[in-house]
Amino acid sequence: MPNRRCTAFSTEQSFEIASCKVEKVGVSARKAAVPNGVMESCCSLESAQETPRFRLDNAMCFGAVNQDFSDIYARVRPDCEALMAQYPDRRSALLPMIHRFAAEEGYTSADAMRACSEMLNLTPATVESTVSFYTLFFRKPVGKYMLQVCRNLSCQLAGAEDVMAYFREQLGIGHLETTEDGLFSYEEVECLAACDRAPCMQVNLEFVYDLTPKMIDDMLVAMRGGAYAVAPLPQTARPERTWMIDQDDQISRGGKSPGGQGVSDPNNAGGIGDSSGIIMLDRILAQPQRFAGRTRERLLSESSAFTDGGPR
Amino acid sequence: MTAVATPVLMQGIGEADLRNIDVYRERGGYKQLARAFCEMTPASVLDLAKASGLRGRGGAGFPTGSKWGFLPSNDHPRYMVCNCDEAEPGTFKDRMLLEEAPHLVLEGILIGAYGIGCKHAFIYIRGEFKRGYEIMRRVVEEARAAGFIGKNLFGTGNDLEFTIHRGAGAYICGEETALLNSLEGKRGEPRLKPPFPAVEGLYKMPTVVNNVETLAYLVPILERGAQWFSAVGTDKSKGYKIVSVSGHVKKPGNYEVPMGTPVRDLIELAGGVREGRKVVAVQPGGGSSACIFEEHLDLGYDYESMQKAGSMLGSGAMVVFDDTTDFVRAAHSLVRFFAHESCGQCTPCREGGHWLEQTLERLVHGRGLPSDVDILKKASRQMTGLNLCALGDSIEPFLASVISRFPEQFEARVASPREVAASV
Repeated sequence: MPNRRCTAFSTEQSFEIASCKVEKVGVSARKAAVPNGVMESCCSLESAQETPRFRLDNAMCFGAVNQDFSDIYARVRPDCEALMAQYPDRRSALLPMIHRFAAEEGYTSADAMRACSEMLNLTPATVESTVSFYTLFFRKPVGKYMLQVCRNLSCQLAGAEDVMAYFREQLGIGHLETTEDGLFSYEEVECLAACDRAPCMQVNLEFVYDLTPKMIDDMLVAMRGGAYAVAPLPQTARPERTWMIDQDDQISRGGKSPGGQGVSDPNNAGGIGDSSGIIMLDRILAQPQRFAGRTRERLLSESSAFTDGGPR
Repeated sequence: MTAVATPVLMQGIGEADLRNIDVYRERGGYKQLARAFCEMTPASVLDLAKASGLRGRGGAGFPTGSKWGFLPSNDHPRYMVCNCDEAEPGTFKDRMLLEEAPHLVLEGILIGAYGIGCKHAFIYIRGEFKRGYEIMRRVVEEARAAGFIGKNLFGTGNDLEFTIHRGAGAYICGEETALLNSLEGKRGEPRLKPPFPAVEGLYKMPTVVNNVETLAYLVPILERGAQWFSAVGTDKSKGYKIVSVSGHVKKPGNYEVPMGTPVRDLIELAGGVREGRKVVAVQPGGGSSACIFEEHLDLGYDYESMQKAGSMLGSGAMVVFDDTTDFVRAAHSLVRFFAHESCGQCTPCREGGHWLEQTLERLVHGRGLPSDVDILKKASRQMTGLNLCALGDSIEPFLASVISRFPEQFEARVASPREVAASV
């Protein structure tokens, strides 16, 4: 196509910037839509400039090996052709193609999105807009073990809040964060459709049912030792319920949710009486340089960094 | 009376490996598909679906035959899409069918596709169901090798193609127009209706989107007749239903029962609540439905009784709450769910959900403002009826029902402004 604006491996500047904006794993659809742009872009440009807190080599990503993108592309391309042939309209193959790349890379890289846009004859922005809608497309490398614990109603009634608090304590990280060593990513997710085996979770998208503190201990020890194998249980083989949190106990402790303790998100400042905005303000006052405004000088220096091949 | 589960779709699950095509065929699998193709016209399959009184099992409960009947009689290509994006809080029946009886699901989809005269059927599987997706891929290969998918099926000259599409984590893709957008490779945002998918669906062609359980029921209906199905159940709710019971019960799980089985019996089937506890509320139809309470437990579990009790049957997910439940937190977790899953297109849902979540979070932490309970009531009501799809409207029922029933739990979390200031 004569007017196509980018080729598979060229650097598309605006796209490059856009993909550096990704702050978290699996940003929710709502947040992407909230018109809180100023604060968001200020903070994310900040993170684009810094060295990432962790830079995983691909070996750390689940189900992936360290390799060059062109190797991956050569391997994935025939599969993508087959996927496109499955649909009356080839754009339908976008989600399966992204899944296919993620199976190789462990996350959805800017390269993968660009390659898909090339194959489907879409703009990179269209592809990224679509990818960013879905929470299972991680636009940043995730840990070797992606721990996704259900926080929804049925699991909550079976003690998921305690399970989540236990995970946070054991891992030392919170919702949507990855440990420094790149071993674990932790996310609290919505109903996983395994309410009969609550509290439940998924490890790299394989179910683990009927969680107990003991099970979590064993699991984390095995993962740290590299001996963990995700063994899916057949859903029908259900043991008698062994563990159910006593709800009376939770209430007597004052009913404090493990969520939202001192956690603050500049895009999620909360309403009246919500302390997170104040926490954020404290942070900004303590470290003003980290939250520098989008001055003209800063924008210029950043854009020159990108034209020079810039930070990746 | 002691309730007994009556497995129809669930027959053989847990006893035989129904994922194996040989086992499935030994038990009579794919016979109905062959019968449909060789002995029946699409119109007679449609008539059978209409006569059985089968209603959509995904949540809305729309009569399946009527839904198919809306397809215009033109010669555009038409599509059948099976909705396996099960994510309604408390529902886990479709995942069980997908993982444990995938051939039954496939046979149902193929029969349905034949019934509407479509040449290309799809199944949309939720991204989290990686295992189910892998099982389905193997199953489709087996079925293709056995000659149930492809060209000139059973020598009748009919072609039927089948594609598995895997989503990537978005509850909203369970809404049928959002699902179609997602299947087209776009953001999973619901479309403005009308036109309904029956007129303009996938690739702007007539499309039917049906739930996994709905399509799977076509197999026993073909086998045993519409009469057999419509004889069971109540006046407006025919046949059987897989009910996912979870929450404060001893044996949570899927139980297949005739429509109209009393709610109390279903709880009993699931082992009842723990000793010394009693049921105070039941959410009968997934996260989007209002609670029903003790006085409703003798009602039958069917569309019209649930509606009469001010709730709905929905997807058939029954969450049982005993008297230890903290409803402020329960409401918070459901509202957080809807706020998180809002696609962001409509302002009432995107902003309202978020505000309600913040308000409930304050209450959960015991820092509620005196006006908060009122805000919850008003804001959730103001969100309904103003959105493209039902997600924004789904927040109100549960919240309103528990606030009006357990106001003391909410009011107890209101703190004075002085306390709020001190806690910051």
